[in-house]
Amino acid sequence: MRFSGIKMPGLLKGGLFCWVVVLFVVVFSMFLADFLLEEPAVPERGMSSIPFDHAIHGDSIGLDCSACHTGARASANAYMPSMADCMDCHRLPMNDKLAEEEMQVDLSEKPWSHKRHLPDHVVFHHGVHAAAGVACADCHGTGFRQNRYGGEKFDMQSCIRCHRGETFKERGFKPAATYCAACHR
Amino acid sequence: MGMDRREFIKSCSLVAVMGLLYGCRKLPLDEVARLGDGPTLKQFEDEVKLAVSQAKKQLDLVKVSRPGPLSIPGASPLNRFGMAIDLDLCDGCGECILACNKENNVPLVPEDDAARGRFMHWVDMRSGAPFMCAHCGKAPCERVCPTGAANHTPDGLSAMVYKRCAGSRFCGANCPVQARKFNFNDAQKLGLARKFNKEVPLRDKGVMEKCSLCLHRLQNDRLKFKTQLSVAVAAAGNVSVKNAAENATEWRGRGVTTACSDACKRRAIIFGNWLDEKSPLVQLTKDRVLYAPREIADLDPSVVFMRGRR
Ligand code: SF4
Ligand code: SF4
Repeated sequence: MRFSGIKMPGLLKGGLFCWVVVLFVVVFSMFLADFLLEEPAVPERGMSSIPFDHAIHGDSIGLDCSACHTGARASANAYMPSMADCMDCHRLPMNDKLAEEEMQVDLSEKPWSHKRHLPDHVVFHHGVHAAAGVACADCHGTGFRQNRYGGEKFDMQSCIRCHRGETFKERGFKPAATYCAACHR
Repeated sequence: MGMDRREFIKSCSLVAVMGLLYGCRKLPLDEVARLGDGPTLKQFEDEVKLAVSQAKKQLDLVKVSRPGPLSIPGASPLNRFGMAIDLDLCDGCGECILACNKENNVPLVPEDDAARGRFMHWVDMRSGAPFMCAHCGKAPCERVCPTGAANHTPDGLSAMVYKRCAGSRFCGANCPVQARKFNFNDAQKLGLARKFNKEVPLRDKGVMEKCSLCLHRLQNDRLKFKTQLSVAVAAAGNVSVKNAAENATEWRGRGVTTACSDACKRRAIIFGNWLDEKSPLVQLTKDRVLYAPREIADLDPSVVFMRGRR
């Protein structure tokens, strides 16, 4: 690149404009790169080949979340259902089609893969919250009924508001532990 | 113009490519850095052997009374966890150090640090016996933490919130017995860290760490207990569920152990709850004389030594 021949007036007129454009491109491409390549704040939901419908399973049959998310009421992790969990029901002759045919899918052993949202240094136990009377939808919202996922906003603000006893007063929740090491390690 | 159109477009695209590369800096480079599963177990074992052979710090023990309830605000009247190390049983083998390193993903240190005896181990050998943070009831380290990352739990643990730690190292300077270790190195980048235990997070560069009294084990047990208790109360008639909660309505941390105490073949490290009569800690220290390092003897330590019988 030949910059040596630039005279002052030239730099001020055309040259300065060039540099502004170059600077803009630099900044813009960095933003673009971060936007394109940065990990999304909410990890993608690991989708499977199954066109699963929460509304059919939850609202219309009235299944509890823990029927499929087997840990939701008693363990630390809620868990995604395995094929065996699906087949517990779908093996039954619900109609005259075979289960696989009805579900129109090729079931693998673990049809859903799920990446944990929770950072390593945070402890969250689903069971203890369920046992204390917190409903799944209190944190997870109702988006999943419309088969919208990943929109929940989990942050420490919402944890701490409830632990301090500021939210859900009408349900008589008692304030819970707020010392750091109750939830952090 | 000093630049013609072609030059201008060329430099723009060059800059754009550089920008894109800059944007990817974290992704592929970090992936490469994280290839492989880190150091081998042998390396950890060798480092512990080296540390044990180099250890020359001595403890100046003085008699202390049995730890009682904490005096900090909000302290639990039921639980105060701690340990007692039996100097009559310990033979200084160092198995506890290795067990702690594996339990808590304690990283290796670069060779020149190791040569100078600067390990990250949460347990040191001092006077031929394991020595770790004493979880002082009046912890001087916590009082000087500018961010509140070093703080006390109601049940007597001196806890570290790694993500709050800004690396001032005031706590390390104010610990009279140098129980704290600072991450001067980025162990993950240098390939010196290995995640043996997924329950414990890896620490970043610039963060202070020390014995946590196996905090994660206590946390897991407490959450499990509280879940089972609520289930038992809900199904009050169900005898088998009631038994699951052992008929206790308050969590006392019964049955929890620490990795170092599990690893000790001679049962020289006793973990338990100083305020629980049923705890092995209370029972096994009953007729013993308790000691603590002179520097922290009046800071109400929760981890003590015992020697001789009364
Ligand atoms: S031994 Fe040191 S690090 Fe541990 S609580 Fe006491 S002062 Fe703090
Ligand atoms: S109690 Fe846990 S963290 Fe502390 S020295 Fe023992 S194994 Fe390590």
